[in-house]
Amino acid sequence: MAVAWIGNREALIERAAAHAASLLSSSRCPVFSFDTDIDGTRAAIALAERAGAAYDHADGAALARETALFTDKGAMTVAPGETRRRADVVVIVGELPRIHHGLVGELAGTVPDLSTVNQRAFFVVGPNGMSVPPLNGGREATRLSCGQASLAATLAALRAQYKGRRTSQPVSNFNDFAKALAAARFPVFLFSGHAAEGLALEMLQGLIADLNRKSRASGLHLPANENGWGSTLASAWMTGFPLRTGFARGFPEFDPWRCDVARMIAAGEADLHLRISAATAQPKEKKRRMALIVLTKTEKPVAGAAVTIAIGEAGVDHDAVVYSSRTGSLRSTEAQAASQLPSAATIIRLIATHAFAEPLPC
Amino acid sequence: MLTKIAGGDIIDPVNGRLGKGDLWIKDDKIVPAPAGGAADRTIEASGCIVMAGAIDIHSHIGGGNVNTARLLLPEQHAAHQLRPAMTPLSNAGWSTFQTGCLYAKMGFTTVVEPAMSPGAALHTHLELADIPIIDKATLAILGNDDFLLSMIRDDAPSTMIEDYVAWTVASTRALGVKVINAGAAAAFKENVRTFSLDDVVPSYGVSSRKIVKTLQAAVDSLGLPHPLHVHCNNLGSPGSADTAAATIAAADGLPLHLAHLQFYGYGTEGKRGFSSAAARLAELVNATPEVTIDIGQVMFGQTVTVSSDVMRQFSARGSAHPKKTVIHDGDGNGGGIVPYSYGKDFYGTMQWAIGLELFLLIDDPWRVFFTTDHPNGAPFTAYPALFELLMSREARAEMTAGLSRSALALSTLAAIDREYTFEEIAIMTRAAPAKLLGLTDRGHLGAGATADIAVYRRDRSIAKMLGQAAYVFKDGDLVVQDGEIIHYRWGKALRLKPPVDKAMVRRLEDYHQQRYGLSLDWFNFPDSAIAREQPFGEVPCRT
Repeated sequence: MAVAWIGNREALIERAAAHAASLLSSSRCPVFSFDTDIDGTRAAIALAERAGAAYDHADGAALARETALFTDKGAMTVAPGETRRRADVVVIVGELPRIHHGLVGELAGTVPDLSTVNQRAFFVVGPNGMSVPPLNGGREATRLSCGQASLAATLAALRAQYKGRRTSQPVSNFNDFAKALAAARFPVFLFSGHAAEGLALEMLQGLIADLNRKSRASGLHLPANENGWGSTLASAWMTGFPLRTGFARGFPEFDPWRCDVARMIAAGEADLHLRISAATAQPKEKKRRMALIVLTKTEKPVAGAAVTIAIGEAGVDHDAVVYSSRTGSLRSTEAQAASQLPSAATIIRLIATHAFAEPLPC
Repeated sequence: MLTKIAGGDIIDPVNGRLGKGDLWIKDDKIVPAPAGGAADRTIEASGCIVMAGAIDIHSHIGGGNVNTARLLLPEQHAAHQLRPAMTPLSNAGWSTFQTGCLYAKMGFTTVVEPAMSPGAALHTHLELADIPIIDKATLAILGNDDFLLSMIRDDAPSTMIEDYVAWTVASTRALGVKVINAGAAAAFKENVRTFSLDDVVPSYGVSSRKIVKTLQAAVDSLGLPHPLHVHCNNLGSPGSADTAAATIAAADGLPLHLAHLQFYGYGTEGKRGFSSAAARLAELVNATPEVTIDIGQVMFGQTVTVSSDVMRQFSARGSAHPKKTVIHDGDGNGGGIVPYSYGKDFYGTMQWAIGLELFLLIDDPWRVFFTTDHPNGAPFTAYPALFELLMSREARAEMTAGLSRSALALSTLAAIDREYTFEEIAIMTRAAPAKLLGLTDRGHLGAGATADIAVYRRDRSIAKMLGQAAYVFKDGDLVVQDGEIIHYRWGKALRLKPPVDKAMVRRLEDYHQQRYGLSLDWFNFPDSAIAREQPFGEVPCRT
């Protein structure tokens, strides 16, 4: 089975890596986007430093909103385990990614064993018609909305009403919510940057801060993308900065606008794009002046790519360390169906050996 | 390879070797002078001081809370601009890669991350694995976790508690155990806002004192070399000296280590109700031989406080500078990140003076440890300046000229003439930490010791001398020359491996399944997950 291609032609993996390295060496503005495990992230960032590249998650917009909450505002958060064991009121804030629906269902199917209130009430904040994760046992979450108002506006109204202020449009079922909060020992708000804009995330933290003046409450961060949040953590320890960092000037610079890789590609700034993701995605549009190198789980070359190299999927084809929103930390996983496909990190290091004299530090 | 460090002033208090002489290294060990042996390499060290590599017992260098602080403060990098060049990721600001290089440049070869959440052990070790050159170690946090509190509440036999502590240390690859504001994080989840040594955790009916004593006994009984590492209650509060005094008294004959005592050296005198209680605490430490302490010295400037004392950090949110914080309720402790700037005002001066008073009034350098509680009191990059303050009363006098007179009036600092000698520095930063942590292979320059060696060229400026080592060897590799990194390598994380009781593992498996809906496998990890060759080095327990 072919595992590497230069253009549309099959190639030895070493030759494909060497060609990728030569493209990288001659690039003046390379960008990397990835959706990979911790080892792959570490190797990609180490290569980005050598190549002077900017890097981002493959679907970075939602993660950037979550990152901005931490870099610009801060937050009150709670571990998922504590949520399960202590949350007597669960508030789903906005639309959550499908990967977290199982956790929400599980919360609905259990009671908080560390709370004297041996039950959980569910609320959902968002406009009517917004999809809500299914709750076990046919339970329904009470809707808190201001008609079709945005999530940020609804949260603002909720916060204002909680403080006893008047709002132009009342939040539906607010009295039920206020009653539940009054009795609650540890309400938890589930949030994600998946569909929530930065202002909504910030407004939610304002509400949580208000609640904590006299009682306890917190927020459970459910990342828009688990690999993406794992990469954010690895980027922070390796460079001191989250994703959307670039090495164009020889040292890391975090700039969520300038190093937005999707923007750099769309604006024609990038002349090389290294895309690392086991999930195959065809490029939306071919950029004439941009070389594309793709590391993905594929049996055929990616259309428009100068180099395609097949990699395995982390946790499926090879053991991996990934972020788990079920534990709120990094987790080691064994390969579910171990294969001969190399990991992303292996190929990145191989490319580096062709491009640079010194091996990558990780 | 046989290396000779020739003609340096050797300071090795453990082996009583003080004075000019040669030191020989074969591969990664210090060896006796070979009879007639010719060195493959000679390092000329005349005019230099030769000491073992320094050991930092309490510096927050990696793990979930430290990384969250990085996320919160991308602007903090301006404080970390001085950096070594030409090493991988050396231009990265406040990063793991820079941490190892900066420590090595100062002659530090082993650093302990003192607050590892057991649930984030894999994350912590992955960060530590990306800290180059030096060896690392961790202390696992216990004392706010439901499993332990439930056992204490239910009067579980001490052997069962020891089994749990042993499993925690073994599975998290830790070098010891730390308790942080025992019981307070659990109480905070139930909306308790202050918590003292004899306060009781709601729902458990267990006092903070009981938690500390239970863990202290378990650590001692298991033969873990490092005594229980205690972050006391009421950190940072006026009057916290009373809490520290009560905790010192609670040691009750068994070894106990109190972390960052400076943050508890606060009395309530003066019109602001905030004064130095350092003399009182120093006297207590001097009179209590089973107690060791580290300081957590404050130095002036911007930093960020990173602590698993979530209750304290929550209460400190109002003092955040810049105005942003993270407060996290974790499975056990959680943590809080509060950026802070220590100014030369009354309070900053008082904290600075209290730390120095403790350093200078505690007599025995074997029981007082050199820390800034990085980054809480100051970044570890402030160490050279702090050495200067300890070794020169003239430097202290110069510094006090620009500080708050009203604060200094409530301190005894001006009346203290003591200056640390190089021998005392070698004890406090090498020999004593090795003894405290059970690291018999380092902290001294005797034959058979690991060749972790720091060579400093004498200079009128102590800060310059100790801030930029002339030579540093790690495991026999010359890694620093003239203050620059010349060789890049990977250290290990030092860990204990106490035997694990199978019945406890089954019990924990059931517990995790029932309480979290997850197998214990979700929290375990193989060494291979760290993706480094030999990521761990094993340290034996006491027999």
